[in-house]
Amino acid sequence: MKLSPLSVPYRVVERGASVVFTAAILFSGASAAFGPAGGPLAVALVGLGLLGLVAYEVTYYRRFAYALDEETLDIRSGVVSRRNREIPLRRVQNVDISRNVVQRALGIAVVDFETAGGSETEASLRFVAFEEAKRLQGEIGRLKRGEDVDDEGEGPATTELFALAPRELALVGALSFDARVPGLLILLLSGSVPAVSSLLPAGSGRLLLAAGVVALVLGAVLVAWAAGAVVAVLNYYDFRLARVGDELQYERGLLRRYDGSIPLDKVQTLTVTDNPLKRAFGYAALRIETAGYAPGSGPGEGGSEAAVPLATRDRVFDLANHIEAFGSPAFERPPRRVRSRYAIRYLLAIGVLVGLLYGADLLVARSVPWYGPAALALLAPVAAHLKWKHRGYWLGEDHLVTRNGVLRRRIKVVPYYRVQTVIDTRTVFQRRWGVATVTADTAGSLSLTGHDAAAVDVDAATAERLRTTLETRLRTALATRRGWVDGADDADENLDSDTGAGTEDETDP
Amino acid sequence: MNRLHPRVRVVWAAQAAVAAAVLTAITVAVDRLAVDLPVWAPPAVLVVVLGVGVGLALARYRVWRYEVRDDALYLERGVFTRVQTVVPFVRLQHVDSSRGPVERLLGLASAVVYTAGSRGADVRIPGLTPAGADDLRERLKRLAIRAEGEDAV
Repeated sequence: MKLSPLSVPYRVVERGASVVFTAAILFSGASAAFGPAGGPLAVALVGLGLLGLVAYEVTYYRRFAYALDEETLDIRSGVVSRRNREIPLRRVQNVDISRNVVQRALGIAVVDFETAGGSETEASLRFVAFEEAKRLQGEIGRLKRGEDVDDEGEGPATTELFALAPRELALVGALSFDARVPGLLILLLSGSVPAVSSLLPAGSGRLLLAAGVVALVLGAVLVAWAAGAVVAVLNYYDFRLARVGDELQYERGLLRRYDGSIPLDKVQTLTVTDNPLKRAFGYAALRIETAGYAPGSGPGEGGSEAAVPLATRDRVFDLANHIEAFGSPAFERPPRRVRSRYAIRYLLAIGVLVGLLYGADLLVARSVPWYGPAALALLAPVAAHLKWKHRGYWLGEDHLVTRNGVLRRRIKVVPYYRVQTVIDTRTVFQRRWGVATVTADTAGSLSLTGHDAAAVDVDAATAERLRTTLETRLRTALATRRGWVDGADDADENLDSDTGAGTEDETDP
Repeated sequence: MNRLHPRVRVVWAAQAAVAAAVLTAITVAVDRLAVDLPVWAPPAVLVVVLGVGVGLALARYRVWRYEVRDDALYLERGVFTRVQTVVPFVRLQHVDSSRGPVERLLGLASAVVYTAGSRGADVRIPGLTPAGADDLRERLKRLAIRAEGEDAV
């Protein structure tokens, strides 16, 4: 199969824009350097460049071929160095389609294939017709399920799982801040501060400057808020998540439309996040993590992930339960004594802060109210209690669910059969308090930032039990799953009833 | 539970000695080029770093344990932060045996176990005899193949 013929002009224009831009600079430079003769010379150079570009893109188009067969996706590509790739379909994690406004007008799309290896997109088709992209997405899903290619048409049933309500979209926008735009603005404007301040009358200078700074900060916050709202609305407009067979399909975006599929059996962990504000109003966010990439670190602008940015807590848990039926967790909190540990930790931090301020006070010999933070000590027990209150773990039928964090609370759902290694760590201080942290490491890439599913500060004896339990449950769950994988024919029905109930505890001979 | 080869203490102590030598050299360089340090500073650095390093090496050896269980590799280590890791054989991606320069000098080797996980993605068992490391690698490989699942992620 070939790419869409339209991809040639599109790619030429896409790349050509930069050529023309360079040309404009060259042109002005050349006419300055060579006088009247420079102009034609530059035009000739640009023409040559464009010609080369067209030739390159045409060759790229001619060389690029892909084929989808029962087992693999084959891609041959390359103009200068040629590359033949075979990607086993079983290893494909996500298939993402994205199109921006121009691409939508032309009816073409980018298709990205993700596999678990590496942090980069495994293969990218730039560009194929949108129908072809959808066909590929569907076909790969079907081939992976092991269905016959011939029985096209009816396909598996599509159930819509989630659609972002306009109210929720508005909320997402209202709660989003994008610090990049004002950061850039401040960077640009900071150079002009001395110039502006020199213009002001000498007497009123200080007051005006203060007012100016305040206005600037306010402006920055406003711009950040507006930018965040725009980005959020552009990203999540008309977000919908549907289940097609044993795949999740999502669609979102106003100008650039994303369209992706996530095989359900590649889902590694689910993360429900919220903060005190969202908790108070009963909202939460959900992220679905595969080994291909994690939300946020995903390819393209802002990540083409399937993450529910904001929805009422019930809807989030319903959706999460539909993807991984974990039930409603009854969290087990750490032992009460760790509250004292947290309180002591906070008090120590406050003590260090006060000490530092005192030192600074001595150095500059000014009466700074260095004892100020000491008042925070009153809050330490409250903070410690909250921290304890929002910690917890729960061993479900098939899932480990952990909960951590107050300001940014994360509830992580890890199916037992996704656990890679079980790690039990005890720092010197934890040993003093007789507690331990049990981490269930998974292949999801979000964990790289250190937010693994972990039961933090559980009693040492509980940790011991938790570790062995996780290990045995992983084994049983895998045995059950392997039984399921061997009978690949009825994979579809078994996905829903994929419970660990069948405890045949034997490994393959 | 297996313990490491006693000579691994020498490996770690040698590594500590290298670190101590480097830090002492830096102290001397600072003394010569930048600030005047007291005469006793370089030897003090040497003694302290070496002492701490050797102490850590001894403590580490006392804590380190590993065991090849029926279906998982179990490791226990860490002086200050005690870490216990369970690596189920189903999750093994590949196993290496490796020998660094100091290890070669002292006739020791390590085995490195890789999983697809993000945090405990590679686990190193130091202080094995070369034959022991190769044996362990082979044994883990066989166990991993026996426990082979459909997908390792």
